[in-house]
Amino acid sequence: MTDKDQILTVEVIDTNGNTFTLREICERGDCHAEFVIKLVDYGIISPVEDVREVRQWQFDVDALNRLQKAMRLQRDLKLNLPGLAVSLDLLDEVQDMRREVARLNQRLHQLLGE
Amino acid sequence: MDFKDYYAVLGVSESATPEEVKKAYRKLARKYHPDVSKEDNASDKFKDVGEAYEVLKDPEKRAEYDQLRKYGTREDGSFQPPPGWQSASGFGGGGYTEADARQFSDFFEEIFGGGRHAGASSGAGFGGGGFRQNVRMRGEDVHARLALFLEEALNGCEKQVSFTVHDADAHGRLVPRQKTLKVKIPAGMRDGQHIRLKGQGAPGVGGGQPGDLFIEVELAPHPHFTVEGHDVLVTVPIAPWEAALGATVTVPTVGGKVNVKVPRGSTSGRKLRLKGKGFPGKHPGDQIVILQVAMPEQHSHEAEKLYEQLAELEKNFNPRSKLHV
Repeated sequence: MTDKDQILTVEVIDTNGNTFTLREICERGDCHAEFVIKLVDYGIISPVEDVREVRQWQFDVDALNRLQKAMRLQRDLKLNLPGLAVSLDLLDEVQDMRREVARLNQRLHQLLGE
Repeated sequence: MDFKDYYAVLGVSESATPEEVKKAYRKLARKYHPDVSKEDNASDKFKDVGEAYEVLKDPEKRAEYDQLRKYGTREDGSFQPPPGWQSASGFGGGGYTEADARQFSDFFEEIFGGGRHAGASSGAGFGGGGFRQNVRMRGEDVHARLALFLEEALNGCEKQVSFTVHDADAHGRLVPRQKTLKVKIPAGMRDGQHIRLKGQGAPGVGGGQPGDLFIEVELAPHPHFTVEGHDVLVTVPIAPWEAALGATVTVPTVGGKVNVKVPRGSTSGRKLRLKGKGFPGKHPGDQIVILQVAMPEQHSHEAEKLYEQLAELEKNFNPRSKLHV
């Protein structure tokens, strides 16, 4: 095999790109559909479009990441569903703020010419 | 093999009560949970804490461990269990509840044994893709991060990505394997975006499909450029006379230098938009040039004279009028 053969082309996943059905997200997350339905009920994850029919639900990759994070937090820290909802929201907020602080710091250094 | 001091890991004394052990564990588990902590080695610390708790919470295991701790360490700090040592408490039996034993250290494996057999996966249902015999299972998805320079993200690049997958051997043990792929990253990747490589995750079990590899892109900070959505921002210093009279100045873009016309009468903070010089995509971004008036560090005597003339001519200008002073 030459070097060229080994180069893999990737698929970019946008929020409006690839989605998973309920069955697929369960398979990838290694969990039961009931758990995903509960997470949706608590607003911890949401399908891309808000449809009532569970079979028509589609989830994006962010939802999959959140589902896996929720499972780890539940397993490791024994969080219940309301606790998961609060902590995941706060973790997202912390991450956004960290990004914003890093960006502003960078701007500040550039402005001060450091 | 090094001896692991589980008491030190949890920060409790040898005489700590089960309650104290539990309390210390809960506190440290929250602190080092990889989804919560941003410390570099949080994941390793979290594993250590989990392993320590797995032993110290169980009276039988703790008693065995205490015994080994007393007799097993050598003077140089290395450790060898006594000949013929066999754990009575074992693993994968009743004492084992929620921890993922595959993650535990060689030290743990040597003492309590059997924990690495993936068949001993958690019964809680969220075992994280544990191996079950005679079952056809899709391989685990693998998540990795990839840091890119702004230039690489904007223009696309080829990158080597290394990550660990776990293969099941003939005995059902999970063996970690380092996998390296050459990946073509498309142009226009932004911070936090994901890419997927189908079938490049962990292999499937019993003829199941392999998992996918998900890569999250991280942008390394650039000394001159910052990114805001699809736009790239850069601050460009200009001389006071360039600001006053207008000028054509050379500014950097990620793609190379371009000439930009600074309008007459510009002030610090004025933004100039370079169309289409930001991130490519369906709605391509722009480069935003932010002007900043810069002063020379020193003025010649002649220049000072000219400033005095200027001050006289423009004496009605109050740059602090907004401050009401």
